[in-house]
Amino acid sequence: MTPEELSQARITPEGEAPAIVLPKGLRRVPRGVDELATEHLIVNMGPQHPSTHGVLHILLELDGEEIIAAEASLGYLHRGIEKLAEHRRYSAVGTLLDRADYISGIHTELALAQATEQLMGIEVPEKAQWLRSLFSEIVRIASHLIAIGTYGMDIGAMAPFLYIMREREALLSVLESVTGARMMFNYVRPGGVLRDLTPEAEPLLRQFLKTFPGYLEEYHTLLTGNEIFQARVKGVGVIDRATAIAFGMSGPPLRASGFGWDVRKERPYAAYEQLRFDVPVGESGDCWDRYLVRMEEMRIAAELIEQCLDGMPEGDVMAKVPKVLKPPAGEAYSAVESPRGEVGIHLVSDGTDTPYRVHLRAPSLMNLAVVDEVMPGHKIADSVAIIGSLDIVLGEIDR
Amino acid sequence: MALDKLLGENSVIFTKSEQLFDAARANSLWYLSYGIACCAIEGLMSAGGPKFDYDRFGIFHRGSPRQADVMIVAGTVNKKMAHALRKLYDQMPEPKWVIAMGACACTGGPFREYPNVVLGVDKIVPVDVYVPGCPPRPESMQYGFMQLQDKIRNRRKEMAREQRSA
Amino acid sequence: MSSAALSSALSAAGVPAEVSEEAIGAVARVPASDLVEALTALRDADCAFAMLIDLFGVDTGEQLELTYHLRSFARDEDAYVRVAAPYDGEVPSAWRVYPSALYPEREAAELFGLTFPGHPNLKRLLTTDEVELPLLRRSTAIRTQEEVHDR
Ligand code: SF4
Repeated sequence: MTPEELSQARITPEGEAPAIVLPKGLRRVPRGVDELATEHLIVNMGPQHPSTHGVLHILLELDGEEIIAAEASLGYLHRGIEKLAEHRRYSAVGTLLDRADYISGIHTELALAQATEQLMGIEVPEKAQWLRSLFSEIVRIASHLIAIGTYGMDIGAMAPFLYIMREREALLSVLESVTGARMMFNYVRPGGVLRDLTPEAEPLLRQFLKTFPGYLEEYHTLLTGNEIFQARVKGVGVIDRATAIAFGMSGPPLRASGFGWDVRKERPYAAYEQLRFDVPVGESGDCWDRYLVRMEEMRIAAELIEQCLDGMPEGDVMAKVPKVLKPPAGEAYSAVESPRGEVGIHLVSDGTDTPYRVHLRAPSLMNLAVVDEVMPGHKIADSVAIIGSLDIVLGEIDR
Repeated sequence: MALDKLLGENSVIFTKSEQLFDAARANSLWYLSYGIACCAIEGLMSAGGPKFDYDRFGIFHRGSPRQADVMIVAGTVNKKMAHALRKLYDQMPEPKWVIAMGACACTGGPFREYPNVVLGVDKIVPVDVYVPGCPPRPESMQYGFMQLQDKIRNRRKEMAREQRSA
Repeated sequence: MSSAALSSALSAAGVPAEVSEEAIGAVARVPASDLVEALTALRDADCAFAMLIDLFGVDTGEQLELTYHLRSFARDEDAYVRVAAPYDGEVPSAWRVYPSALYPEREAAELFGLTFPGHPNLKRLLTTDEVELPLLRRSTAIRTQEEVHDR
């Protein structure tokens, strides 16, 4: 970033009035203050609501159709992943973390494996690094597909969901043939990965890569070109760059706001240093941009899969690691770019075979926090469009 | 109608109305789209997708509990969610059924040791079918639904047998 | 290098800090009372730590430690600010400097039993009143095998 851009990005308080004062959600008008007292209505959205992507509960304060204030109420899926990780061996912690961000479990696993490797000083074989990148990208497409499909469904377009499920199943069959599971892989282990590609995996992937560009075109016809869809998302939920940075956002929502920070590029891990790819960046930071960034990322991820398959080196997939992992006392932080943003694992070890503390930096939580700020001023129907465009996973938010 | 083909034209069947209704109910199980955690992706989303397509069995999702017959508890229920779960169950019209999907809903699953997690959803609502797995494959859910259909079809027989033995 | 930048920025703001270079990066330990000044200084000085990536607590056994994970895009660096707080203690809220602290602070307040004076909305975030103990403290036990088996 150039210094001029930086000064824009920084939320510098000039004198007494900082650029960002209070999230609008907290700047609420006391009820009944308004003289022409139309009463404000409090609406509970969730925890069972088809378009909150899980069990999110949002309190909306409405003045007619308009949202005055919004507040997320969390915890409907709080199940102690961080606490239980303190009572599990290192090899079993990945199983728990898979279930944190359950749509793209492999990224959380990878972050944990990298943090453990940092502590123990394990050198990961070249091939394992490439496999890690390959599977990260496969899961990225599978996850973005769900994001796009359910987003269409939120807006009222049912058909795209059925189409994306077709491609997702194709990817899941690859994942299943290699990792043995459709969703909870536990494939990335400290020291490498579980196993090499199976003989049937590569032809399946090549077949997928051949058909996928055509399918992407199909989605563009179904959703991108759909005027109703455009009317619902264009100019809605604008998050400018300063707000995005102040709220600690990452991933596609941050990049849609025009700030191209991607962990894969800035802090390369796995095999990303050897791979060539672009980072799509949006302009205005509205729901439309966030949607387009995801679509573009899927296209790029497909290219990355091809590069990984072509450039896959030979060799071992697992380094020599002891059966019982006992990292020396210390701390490590490792971040990876998941479909939702920067997933980080902060690992504190005390030298025993169980971690002392595992903290998961959940991108969804940071991305969600911004709804308090952007929702006020929108119509109630837009709330669905805004939540959907952030693509949150509640398992990761509540942990 | 299919019965014509089976029994010949102008045939007459005697049956109890409840039995007839149950046969109908078993073939249009509308579930509440109430995904809690990871299991929801498999049990509600993949299930609705083109590969598994539960719609074939008349199994389809509804957004409102007032239109639903079955509640699939797909995920970990914690103490905060328990209240909402019970409320939703109470809002569903009779007759209603519950499928506990996944290890979490059955017993607490991988998170059973955490004090905030409820040890099995059968502590809150009565459960008809348990589907084990973490997450269960959509095929297992299919089997679970078939078990539930059998259970519904044979409801009257079971009741009659109980009355006789009592 | 980053630890030098950290200590110069902090000393310019008059914050007593203990800066060290650790395995995870530069860590500045500041007293809880000076936390907000320290964060403001780090955000605004040349090092421009524009984003609060993360905020989390660790129970060390004697006290609680809160770690603020900052990132500077200008310098392409991460840094950490640490404050210590006694059990049930107080740490001033950092949300005026970094609004992204709002939710993590509520989470830490609940799971570690801390208070953040100045936080606009310090309600329970994750659990209901049925859970009494701060769940992430080391002293809070999890269920035993027997309890689980007896369901
Ligand atoms: S049973 Fe497994 S997959 Fe299902 S909700 Fe529980 S942890 Fe998630």
